[in-house]
Amino acid sequence: MASPIPLRGRLRRYGTSYAMLLPFLALFAGFLLWPLANSLYLSFTTFDGINPAVFTGVDNFVQLASDTRFRHALGNTALYVVGSVVLGTLLSLGLALAFNGTSWPHRIMRTLFFLPSVTSSIALMLMWKWVLYPSDVGLANTIVDWFGGSAVAWLATPGLTIPILVLMSVWGGMGYGMVLYVAGLGSIPQEYYEAAKIDGASTWRQFRHITLPLLRPVTTYVVVTGLIGAFQVFEAVYIVFSQGANTIGGVLDSGLMIVPYLYDQGFTHFRLGYASAIAWVLFLVIFVLSLINLRVGRAMKEL
Amino acid sequence: MAVAPMDTIAPVQQSPHGTPTGGSRRARINAHLLRLPFYLLALTMIAPFYWLLITVFKPPRELARTPPSFVPESPTFANFYDPEWSAQAVNPGHLQGIFQRYQVDLGFWRFMFNSILITTSITVGSLLICSLAAYVIAKHDIKGRRTIFLLIIASMMVPWQTTLIPNYVIMRNLGWLDSYEAYIVPALAKAFVLFFLVQFLQSIPNELIQAARVDGAGEWRIWWRIVLPLLRPALAAMSIFIVLAEWNNFLWPLIIVQSDEMANIPVALARLNSYFGGPDHQGAIMAGGLLASVPTIAFFLIFQKYFTRGIALSGIKG
Repeated sequence: MASPIPLRGRLRRYGTSYAMLLPFLALFAGFLLWPLANSLYLSFTTFDGINPAVFTGVDNFVQLASDTRFRHALGNTALYVVGSVVLGTLLSLGLALAFNGTSWPHRIMRTLFFLPSVTSSIALMLMWKWVLYPSDVGLANTIVDWFGGSAVAWLATPGLTIPILVLMSVWGGMGYGMVLYVAGLGSIPQEYYEAAKIDGASTWRQFRHITLPLLRPVTTYVVVTGLIGAFQVFEAVYIVFSQGANTIGGVLDSGLMIVPYLYDQGFTHFRLGYASAIAWVLFLVIFVLSLINLRVGRAMKEL
Repeated sequence: MAVAPMDTIAPVQQSPHGTPTGGSRRARINAHLLRLPFYLLALTMIAPFYWLLITVFKPPRELARTPPSFVPESPTFANFYDPEWSAQAVNPGHLQGIFQRYQVDLGFWRFMFNSILITTSITVGSLLICSLAAYVIAKHDIKGRRTIFLLIIASMMVPWQTTLIPNYVIMRNLGWLDSYEAYIVPALAKAFVLFFLVQFLQSIPNELIQAARVDGAGEWRIWWRIVLPLLRPALAAMSIFIVLAEWNNFLWPLIIVQSDEMANIPVALARLNSYFGGPDHQGAIMAGGLLASVPTIAFFLIFQKYFTRGIALSGIKG
């Protein structure tokens, strides 16, 4: 390509361009690209963090396939992801439909539901742990007591672990989805509804044939980001369900999930190679989800 | 402040969207009935927060009592600082407040200082670094910029936990474990911030930048004087995400922090929680939780408009 700028000037200008790119690229390469390649390598090794990594081929992945704790973690994660995303998305949409106005009651409700999104997440986790305290001093058991029940060991009952984690996630996240849906509702032209009314369409039909289809991009975004976030859950399990330093996944591993298991293998058992293999399983799951997101997004645009 | 590209996102006027608000009396009553479950849901939002708040102001003895009180009977600030507690003599009914709990200089203030320092450094640093790179990628015609941009977009699909172990090893080899560097430096190059800023810049016409070039302004000057001001609404939106994410950051600090001095608020509170589980200690723990939440809630209430707009913008465009 012929450029009107003389070579020297071009060099000077491009030099500046690269200099401006350099800080980002250096950090990006140093703390993302290189560690990414490195973790792929480590996933094929046995590595305790002190002695040099020993290449062991696909051993880690073979072991993962028959690791009952890992299978358990995958199963728990799947249950948690489906539960929290389905419930969370439905409630986000419901809240947005209920409170999308500009009147003060609507604003107050929106602020209230959004509040967990701006509250320190560690504070929320500690709050839940205290709400679910096993004896009658806790809030949840006090309420159970009002209805004549006896104290429940909320955090030590394996069957309750995933439901509690789902409820915590939905409680904390639905306000965020609501904000996205309110924005989506605001971008639907009013004329559509007016035209539908003139045609005598019922409220339900308006919702079904105007609101829902036009909200589809928002729904895709809420669902996919929800899925990605849910697969990465760590703090709730670690803070609320850990029983002492070495049992990370709650009673009988009932809350063990992918990232907590990664932490457990990597940083309490110092099996860094094995933990890297877990990290790559997580990578594959999230990568596929992101690709679906791109696909769906593109398909939407073509429609 | 006028933020033209985002004004379309503000909430709509009273509009039906499936739940009619206008119309006949019956329709209005129906609309309220439809909302009823959501008002009940709102109660479940308030209850845990209320529980946290009253816990903060109850003395240890009241906390250990059943059934619990729902209005603190003897409200106190002792969960923050209890002057009657002493390390030498046991004083029944008195425990350390949150500011008396840590053996580090400044006590809990130290963690607040750490969290504020880390969050602001990362926010300012990453916005500067990412806006520089975004300016080049969006507005400079250099070789390889497409490849670089594609690489950055692809990297957004990588869960950061995948790089957790190698980054831990890097921190150890650099001697950065337990330092501010370990918190800040790896967190500066944020792919989603760069992506968002590039998109925003692409929607801005080149004329202003061209005019400045004609006037003989250098690229650094153009970035500082023209690009950054143009990017202001995008930077505001991104800073909200960065501040919240870094303020709440837990897993990475958990791995790189060893001493008490270098903990951020989440790690400090998690440690406290693992040492003291009893109900009488919950007052101090919840006081810590309240202190951890005040800055972000205040930040939200001040910039409320930007929050909802920023989230909506990132959701619709990203």
